[in-house]
This record gives sequence, C-alpha cells and structure tokens, in this order.
Amino acid sequence: MRYYKFQGFAFLIPILVIIGIFYAMIIWDVFAAFTHWQGLQPTWRFAGLYNFLRLFQMSRFWVNLRNNLLWLLLFIAPTFLTGFVLAYLITNLGRGEAILRQIFLFPMALSFIITGVLWAWMYDPSSGVINSVLKAFGFNTSKLGWIALPKTAIYCMIVAAFWQYLGFALVIYLGAIKGIPYEMVEAAKVDGASHWTVAFRIIFPNLGHATLICTTMLAITTVKVFDLVWVMTRGGPGVSTEILPYLMYRLAFDSRDLGMGAATSIVILLFSAAMVIPYSLWALNKWVRT
Amino acid sequence: MKERYFLLITGLLVSILAVIWMVPIYALVTTSLKTQEEVALQKYLDLPRNPQFSNFGKAFNALKIGLRNSLVISLSATFLCIFVGSLAGYALTGFNFRFATPLFFLIVVVTFLPYHVILIPITQFLKTLGLLNSYAGLILIYVVLNAPMATLITGTFFMKIPPELEEAAILDGCKPFRYYLRILVPVSLPGLISATILVFIQIYNEFLLGIALTRGPDVKPVMPFLAELKGTQIAQWHIQMAGAAITSVIPVLVFIFLGRYFISGLMAGYGKG
Repeated sequence: MRYYKFQGFAFLIPILVIIGIFYAMIIWDVFAAFTHWQGLQPTWRFAGLYNFLRLFQMSRFWVNLRNNLLWLLLFIAPTFLTGFVLAYLITNLGRGEAILRQIFLFPMALSFIITGVLWAWMYDPSSGVINSVLKAFGFNTSKLGWIALPKTAIYCMIVAAFWQYLGFALVIYLGAIKGIPYEMVEAAKVDGASHWTVAFRIIFPNLGHATLICTTMLAITTVKVFDLVWVMTRGGPGVSTEILPYLMYRLAFDSRDLGMGAATSIVILLFSAAMVIPYSLWALNKWVRT
Repeated sequence: MKERYFLLITGLLVSILAVIWMVPIYALVTTSLKTQEEVALQKYLDLPRNPQFSNFGKAFNALKIGLRNSLVISLSATFLCIFVGSLAGYALTGFNFRFATPLFFLIVVVTFLPYHVILIPITQFLKTLGLLNSYAGLILIYVVLNAPMATLITGTFFMKIPPELEEAAILDGCKPFRYYLRILVPVSLPGLISATILVFIQIYNEFLLGIALTRGPDVKPVMPFLAELKGTQIAQWHIQMAGAAITSVIPVLVFIFLGRYFISGLMAGYGKG
C-alpha cells in the first residue's frame, strides 16, 4: 500500500485545486470588503470599515437582516417539527410509507424558480388559486393580497419554501426513527405511555443527529432562497421581502458598489459559517469514528 | 380501541395533507393545458375541456435555447464533478493519509457553505480568465462548487467497501487507478448514481450564477429563461405553467425513476450513510 501512496496523492490534486480556489475566493472577498471599490476594477485601496459603516447606516440593510431572522425563526422550526410529527405518524400507520414519502419529497426535486413561478400565481390576489378557492367557499377575498402586500408577502414566501422542504425533513426523520431500538418504544407503550409521550419524550430526544442535520440544512436554505425572492417579488413590495444575498446582488451588480456588496457577503459569510462549522465538526467526528 | 381511532385519524390527517401537497402540482398541470379564456374562469380544480398542447409549443420556443444550454452545462459539469469527486473520495478513504481528516473537514465546509458568499470573487475570477458568458466558464464554476459534494457522497459509499477487496486487488498486481476504474466504480455503482443525480439536479436547478455570469441568451441556462418567461408573459398563467412544467420534466423523470438513489444520496450527503 505504502508503495502506491504517491499515486493516491495524485488522485487528490484536482480536489485540492478546487477547494484551494474556493478558500482563496473567500479570503479575496474578505480583503475586497475592506477596500474602496466602485465601478469595474478593484482598486485595492484600503478603506478600513468604510464599506461596513455605510452598510450599517442603510435602513434597507436592517430590513434585510430582520427578514433573514424571520426566515430563520419561521421556516426552520415549523419545517423540522412538522417533518418529525409526520414521520412519526407515517411510521405508526405502517403502510403507504413509500408513496407518501414520494408525494412529500417530490417538490425537493424542483428548483426554487419553478416553485416561485407556481406559488406567485397561486398567491395572485385577483386570479390566483388560493383566492379562487376561498371565493368558491364564500369568503370575501378582497382584502387578501398575499404577496402583493408588504405585511404578508414574506410569510407567503416562507409557506412556499415550507411546501418545498417539508419532504426533506420527513425523509431525514423517517430514516432516523428506523434506527431507534424497537424495544424502547414498545416498553413505553406497554407502560401505557401516550403517543405524545412516546413521540416527544422518548423518540425525539434520541434523534439529535437528525434534528442537527435538518436545522443546519434549513438554516443554509434561508440564504439560498435568493431565487425565490427574485422570482416571486423581486424583493418587493418596496424592499419588504429582500434578504441579505439579494441586497448583495443589487449592490454589487446593479449599483456597481462592489465594496459594499463584498461587505454584505462578509455578513452572510459570518452567518453561514456559524451554522456550517459546528455541523462540519460533527460530521468530522462521525467520519473519524467509522 | 383507542389505538384504532388514533390510526384512523392519523390516516385521514396524513391523506388530507398529501392531497394538499399535490394540489399545486395538479393546478400547474391542468392550467398549462387550458386556453386563456378557460383560465380566466378561475375554475382551477376543473380539468381542461380541450387540452391545448400549443401552450407547450409556445413555452418551449421561449425556453429551448436555455434547455440546450442547461443540458450541455449540467451534463458536462456533472460528469467532471463525479470523476474528480470519486477519485478524491477513493484517495481519502483508501490510503490512510494522515491529512485525510483535516482535508475532509475543509471539504465538508465548502460543500455546505452557500456559494452566494463568494459570488463577487467568482465573477472577478471568470473575468480575469476571460470566461464570462461562456460554457467553459459556467462548467468550471459548477465543478468548483459541486465537486466537494461529490467527494463527500462517493467517499461515504466507498467507506462501506471492505478494505480486504483493495488489498487483494493490489496484491494481485492491480494498480490503484485500475482498481478504481475496474473494481471500485462497478462495485459502488449505486453510490455513484446517487451522487450523479444529486449533483445533476443541483446544477440544473441553479439560477443565480446563470444570471450573474452570462449576458444575453447564448449560454444562459434554463432557469433564468423561466424567470424571464414569468416577467414577459404577465398574467398569461397557462404559458407560465407550461414553461414550469417543461423545465420540471427532467428533474421529475429523474425523481420518479431514480428516486431511490436520490434519497440514498441525500442520506449520504447529509452524514447519515
């Protein structure tokens, strides 16, 4: 084996180059955030915190940040909790698991753009599916503007993402529940434990790894919903549904203020690293043990 | 007795939820086959009276360049990702390198870090190379962004192969690359298929790089085309839905016929192999 180590190393060269490029870009971006850069070419003139200060003075930045927090709060917990409850119910049902899993997971194969086109139509106040169905049941829909209203637009978008990602949480929990020793659940049931107790006191605490996977991946998704924002509302009405990646895009590519765009991406970097690094350490731990 | 009621209510609840989950898709498909007048009636749960396949023709015409570009880009980028990734996955699991653990950590981090963070350097990088608005540029970037995920998934599958297999092959005079190509790849084919599907769908569904790295329609992938279709065919819901249906065909077929691999790829990719 030792004899071939050199060849083994050669197999790694492409991926080493690739992650080298990736990390070099991150470092480059950090430097760019601290320089004066408006227009086409980087100047590499040190600007200190200038870009960040300008960014923090924009009220638009704080709206964006608040929206990112709303996504974290209202997207993650409902998605993984519903996913867990659904996985528990389907496991108990003992039949139809394959078909149900397919139905709920199906939207995961679609892109945010397709989801966005579909849901933007569903939410359309005058001719969308949702208002039409409500009207058919006799509701007064004249005040239900959904994504046309700044107050409700972001929540509507979160619901669309929930529709798309519930299946992901479901599949992760379905897999994890199968790993729970059957005797443990059976013993509790013999003792007369209710379903609520079995689900939340016995099974859920033993699925820490699945919950970690779900929360981390859903948290990262709140950065990726850029596409959904773009296609459903373009950040509107006003800036009410913008999130930080969207602001970064606007600053860097429309206003050509790349210094400030880079500063925004550093904020996103800190936010994402806080999710990804603990998760990677956990994955590393698992890897070393096997 | 109580248990029977529980199961009955559960079954009912889960079925209702499943129906709700399918309604958007149902409305998408039926609306894509209606005439504009029929759509205007807003009877979205009714079947189309006279299926209008010409809607699809119209939407396809608006999307066909994008579909071609997407197929060229995603197929080549996926192939390269899987090749680079599986070689790396083999090297990481098969040789007991001392630096395999820290390298694995660096790979996991870039797999899950959203690429939005480096969007600005990516555009500058391609500009420096003169590869903006070209197939080569897009393929290069998709490989950089997705090969780490391919490494992770294939590596997870390779770990399950008993090391004796490699030892025996090497003792028989089989060189590492030959072992990789002739034994490891065929033996772990399900793992490679999973990785391929996940990476392919990820690249095919990508949007942001498609708008940031291209100018004009020549090499732009299909998702930006679909977003544009929504912008130009305002309130032409039947055309928009036909466009959405056309762009979903490939991922949906993959999901229906290879869904098993999609799920096991998800599991492997997210650390539950």
